[in-house]
Amino acid sequence: MFSEADVLKMGEVQVNVSRFYDQATDNKTTIAHGLLDPRMGPPNKASTCATCHGEFQTCPGHFGYLPLALPVFNVGYISHIVDILKCICKSCSRILLVEEERLDFLKKMRNPKLDHLKKNETFKRVVKRCNAMVGGTRMAVTCSRCGYINGSLKKAGGTVGVIHDRSKVQDNTIKEAVAAISNMKESKTSLSTMLDPQKALKLFKNMLDEDCDLLYLGVRPEKLIISTIPVPPLPIRPSVKVDGGTTSNENDITLRLAEIVRTNAVVNSALSEPVGNKSYLESWEHLQFSVALYINSDVRVPPSFDQPKPMSGLVQRMKGKQGRFRGNLSGKRVEYTGRTVISPDPNLKITEVAIPILMARILTYPERVSHHNIERLRHAVRNGTSKYPGAKHIRKPDGTMMSLSINARKRLADELKFGDVVDRHLIDGDVVLFNRQPSLHRMSIMSHRARIMPWRTLRFNESVCNPYNADFDGDEMNMHVPQTEEARTEALMLMGVQNNLCTPKNGEILVASTQDFLTSSFLITRKDTFYDRASFSLMCCYMGDAMDSLDLPTPAVVKPIELWTGKQLFSVLLRPHADMRVYLNLTLTEKSYTKPSGKRDKPYETMCPNDGYVYIHNSELISGQLGKATLGNGNKDGLYSVLLRDYNSHAAAACMNRLAKLSARWIGNHGFSIGIDDVQPGDNLNDNTHRIISEGNKKCENFILDFNKGKLKLQPGCNAAQTLEAEITGVLNKIRDETGKVCMEKLHWRNSPLIMSQCGSKGSPINISQMIACVGQQSVGGQRAPNGFMDRSLPHFPRKSKTPAAKGFVANSFYSGLTATEFFFHTMGGREGLVDTAVKTADTGYMSRKLMKGLEDLSVYYDNTVRDSSACIVQFTYGGDGRDPSQMEGKAGFPLNFDRLLMKAKATCPADQHKGMSPSEIREMVDERLSMHDMTPEGGCSEDFRKKLKEFIEKYAVTLEITMRAFQPHVGELNDEESRILETVAQSISGITSQQLQVFLDTCIYRYHDKKIDAGTNIGAIGAQSIGEPGTQMTLKTFHFAGVASMNVTLGVPRIKEILNAAKKISTPVITAKLRSNDNLSYAKLVKVQMERTYLGQVAKSIKLVLGLRSASIVISLDKGTIQALQLSIDAYTVKESILKTPKIKLKDHNFKVLDGRKLEIILSSEKSKLYFDLHWLKNRLPTVVVKGIGTIERAVINKKKEQDKFNLLVEGTGLQAVMGMEGINGHETTSNHILEVQSTLGIEAARRSIIKEIQYTMESHGMSIDIRHMMLLADVMTYKGEVLGITRFGIQKMKESVLMLASFEKTSDHLFNASVNGRVDNIEGVSECIIMGIPMQTGTGMIGVKQKVPKLELCHRPDVILS
Amino acid sequence: MADEDYEMDAGAYEDEPIEPELEEGAEEDVEGENKDEELPDPLLADNEDTEEQKLAQGPRKTSKYMTKYERARILGTRALQISMNAPVMVELEGETDPLEIAMKELRAKKIPFTIRRYLPDGSYEDWGVDELIVEDSWKRQVGGD
Repeated sequence: MFSEADVLKMGEVQVNVSRFYDQATDNKTTIAHGLLDPRMGPPNKASTCATCHGEFQTCPGHFGYLPLALPVFNVGYISHIVDILKCICKSCSRILLVEEERLDFLKKMRNPKLDHLKKNETFKRVVKRCNAMVGGTRMAVTCSRCGYINGSLKKAGGTVGVIHDRSKVQDNTIKEAVAAISNMKESKTSLSTMLDPQKALKLFKNMLDEDCDLLYLGVRPEKLIISTIPVPPLPIRPSVKVDGGTTSNENDITLRLAEIVRTNAVVNSALSEPVGNKSYLESWEHLQFSVALYINSDVRVPPSFDQPKPMSGLVQRMKGKQGRFRGNLSGKRVEYTGRTVISPDPNLKITEVAIPILMARILTYPERVSHHNIERLRHAVRNGTSKYPGAKHIRKPDGTMMSLSINARKRLADELKFGDVVDRHLIDGDVVLFNRQPSLHRMSIMSHRARIMPWRTLRFNESVCNPYNADFDGDEMNMHVPQTEEARTEALMLMGVQNNLCTPKNGEILVASTQDFLTSSFLITRKDTFYDRASFSLMCCYMGDAMDSLDLPTPAVVKPIELWTGKQLFSVLLRPHADMRVYLNLTLTEKSYTKPSGKRDKPYETMCPNDGYVYIHNSELISGQLGKATLGNGNKDGLYSVLLRDYNSHAAAACMNRLAKLSARWIGNHGFSIGIDDVQPGDNLNDNTHRIISEGNKKCENFILDFNKGKLKLQPGCNAAQTLEAEITGVLNKIRDETGKVCMEKLHWRNSPLIMSQCGSKGSPINISQMIACVGQQSVGGQRAPNGFMDRSLPHFPRKSKTPAAKGFVANSFYSGLTATEFFFHTMGGREGLVDTAVKTADTGYMSRKLMKGLEDLSVYYDNTVRDSSACIVQFTYGGDGRDPSQMEGKAGFPLNFDRLLMKAKATCPADQHKGMSPSEIREMVDERLSMHDMTPEGGCSEDFRKKLKEFIEKYAVTLEITMRAFQPHVGELNDEESRILETVAQSISGITSQQLQVFLDTCIYRYHDKKIDAGTNIGAIGAQSIGEPGTQMTLKTFHFAGVASMNVTLGVPRIKEILNAAKKISTPVITAKLRSNDNLSYAKLVKVQMERTYLGQVAKSIKLVLGLRSASIVISLDKGTIQALQLSIDAYTVKESILKTPKIKLKDHNFKVLDGRKLEIILSSEKSKLYFDLHWLKNRLPTVVVKGIGTIERAVINKKKEQDKFNLLVEGTGLQAVMGMEGINGHETTSNHILEVQSTLGIEAARRSIIKEIQYTMESHGMSIDIRHMMLLADVMTYKGEVLGITRFGIQKMKESVLMLASFEKTSDHLFNASVNGRVDNIEGVSECIIMGIPMQTGTGMIGVKQKVPKLELCHRPDVILS
Repeated sequence: MADEDYEMDAGAYEDEPIEPELEEGAEEDVEGENKDEELPDPLLADNEDTEEQKLAQGPRKTSKYMTKYERARILGTRALQISMNAPVMVELEGETDPLEIAMKELRAKKIPFTIRRYLPDGSYEDWGVDELIVEDSWKRQVGGD
């Protein structure tokens, strides 16, 4: 903060003229001492600075100063000013604390270990103490030093000012004043006075430094009051000439300053008038407002001080998305970028992007001339700017820059020297960053290799659509060209497509074949496809660019002619030639895989009638028709995933390239299209559809009939109407599924939509069914179409109709055409979807931003801890085991998939002549291996992994034992030969050789260690993206059912928001309570009744007012029958207790008289006059007294667990502690979904677990899998300070130290003003701060130092020359 | 989609949670806590925070594998050097791209750099590039053959 002296010292010129240009010279020149005085910087391009004589481009500008006639408050500090004034005596400026207390607080404040938050807290306590000093009331505080009685202080409403209210002060002076005033006409005058800035300034100036420390002031308090305004330099408030220089457009700041100068002049002249004239007060206030608006134009000023148009103040320049912090410091506009429409090109590699030649001629890369490239660069220089591949500029080491658009290019090319820098056009192989908004995760911006191509679009392989979430319906994408060798290396190494095939969200593959690639693979690998030599060879050639060698496999059919199967083509694709040592082994089930049903219980596996079991053995496709599960994205056991894990990214990428080329070319010849005949249902299909629909209608009719008769069997926790809705919705939804199933069965196998649906390239059975058979039920808000008219959805139906058609069931298909009402219902459903997406994008976007700001600076350090930028530990090991989530192979975030690895080990090391091991040998070998150093926690192996590996092998050994036992004859002995044979058979079924086991174990352990997360990984940002990105996909299905139909639980984005915000009030709190005996329904009912709240009114037969001659009382008689029916333990005594406990009913024990077990008399002892009213009040109040159960819960529902006769209770409402303490509830296993309640009841660790569990549950119910490590990290961040902090402004404020980071998040001005008052220091450690400052941050590649190794000089020891 | 406004600035914020009032009784507890804090930290030796950064004592504890960030940084720095005509430490076989040359040098362990790994307490460990094991992704294979 600047003091007056600082401002004067800094200012080059005094500003006191409110005009800008000299009118004498036709508004051409700026006026001296005006706001555009050239001493503050050049006012336009033509002129120079009068202070430094710099040009428009070079002069940074200089400050001016504007002395104010009278001081004014700085609005930004007004709350601080009030706080300080509250704490000091308004007479002697000392702090209003008694001496020992003052010393105590001072000691605390000066403690160097106290962090900012604690200091602030102490400051608040000081303020509080000062206002509630002993010896004074809240309204008046006596100064312990000078004895002056201070009144209360508050911020003036409506204006910028401070009110000192001494009216309540009991003091002689006041009495005198009152006496004096009472003589005057206005008898009612307020004694509160405005504490004007000048007085405040005087008080502040008198303050001791010691007291400033106590008030957490980093500066002298007088700096909070403005007496001289620094006038900002011209370059930050440029003046723009319009209309050929006759008039000028001034910046808002300049206009605001002009206003201040004008008002200041008025004040000055008013002051110069004779003493006693108070007319200056009004203009002073005016000055105060104009200064306030100059700083923050959102300050509320009286309407009399109206502004003609909104002009922004200094604060407005900083805050908001377009403000300085977020618009210019955290994100900047850059050069060397391009943007255009994208289109697909399957002939490109997945790592490439085709850049139009027009773009390549504009984008340049500064290449330094060296031995290696001088010839190429000479050529580029000769070509110049317009001919590709050319160059734009040459920069010499001395700084001169030569454009190549001139004609002397040939000479320049010849003169090219080592060390010159040539800005050459983009060429093939250059590294570019490619990006599509919204950039939701790190795969939204990846680096590709450039391929310069003709035409005007950016092109890339369709396989890479997924990470960008791009399609080609007119999407545009951006590209950036890294400008240094370091930048391009890092881009290539860390952001390259090859290094980002997998998402760190859960380790699934993201870059994989899509759409047509899947369709053609599906068609090629069909069981009955055979190709002759010509077509097979042709297809083999499709894969590459005729540059790679290929080995043709042995034909599957030799006679009568040689024929190859389509599956063989895939074997070629996986392993084109024998030199390529890729042995892929995998088994997985496609969508079409038939599970055994009926009599058969053995899985079909490779004998699947639909050919849905994919089995690849040593890179040979044995069985299975390939579809999305094998080739597509979003799985962990697919072909590309396995290639990537077992071999490397290059192998997977090469395979993708081959498939892309093959399928694009093949499907071009084969042809694949969809027409009207594809959606024409056959008679058979039509009949089936009609049958299904009429059956469903009939069922619904029956339900409606039952409902009308009142005979409907109620579902638990529902009333009749709800049950009816649930039943009908169930039936109608089933119709669509059934028609879908029928379509899939009845359609011809060549039907294009069917093929696409089967292979997973596009469309689902429901889509097909909607086109061909039946569109199905339309829903709005999760319900059937609502009643838009009186008792009906549309006037086409009778009132109160509940028939399917009247509530939005569309029986027609898109092919047959919708009726008018159906169409209307369909648009209703469609509209909801649109609205939902529109609303949710904003919500999730903000959520992502908050998450990012909360987690941005967490990274893994070299000691494997996860810490924030100020080295505060968040986790000791990332995710508990320190593995990288993007490399997880197994299910649920487990590092490896043992089954697959074992299969691979067995396939790659065939048993041949080696003898299998016995189970005991296996165990021995495993134990030996597991006891080695790299399997211990010190060796970097988690207990969990070790245990799982051991269990896996144990299971295997047990299987082997069982197999061997099965071959043992029941009776008799076997001779050696027989037993040897049987052993071999058993071994070949489930045996393992020592070599296989060795390979398996080594692979497992090696890979496990290989998956360790690298130090420097920005794991916080990855976590934030991994949770934020799926949020955008969570659309529509806002509500869900949890177990019981009637128990709704908030899910989707709203729920995630609740968890992240650590909301105090959540919309559906549910406590899941486990019962002590969970297999007894009546027991569960008993507990439920005990738990649910029962009002006195519900169990009382009567609550009567008994008016006698001498006494009046209330008699409550309980209804024994009801109580017994509900199995409640209520009698008059418990009722008495309950009434006593109820707040607001202030009765004492002696008021009650228990007549017998079910009668209770309440006698009031109040005054006669009030008695009657009190009795009546009580009588009305009593029925709502809770006599049994927990008041905070809404209701409890008994939930039967699936397929078990186990029950638990779902309790709607809060009050975890009370529920846990209920009799019959197993408190150990009772949880709530309310995070804060869990924290207050069970503690912070339980809250952490609860956060993880709830996020996981929410994500899972939307079918999204996220690695648990991300959620752990998030939960740790939310809890590591010891309390649950939400990822909101308030929570993040408590997590982070950095002012800059907080300012760039939200509430920019508040943070900046506070920081300046408190004298905060920012260490620039975090990500945001470093970005704002433009320096490398201390994570990732910036974490290490790189030192040049200087070879040690070897000193030769020669005999001394002189001596010899 | 691209220019959709995610912003929820101004107005859209949730209400500020009311700060819990400090009760008179509660103050005493806080004071008690604070007294403890004023004791000197036994873990922190007097001279410890004066020295900003120093070589970590004892044997090096960090991983002997090169992280991908180190690899990227080293290759980047080396590629920059090579692009500026630094002498190349390996035989070239027609490579011209500085990055490719740098990679070749790394494979041959000929990059003349030392990596300074900073630990969170400010101390550091020095590792020569030739000491660190570079995960060569080409070699990774399962099985004996």
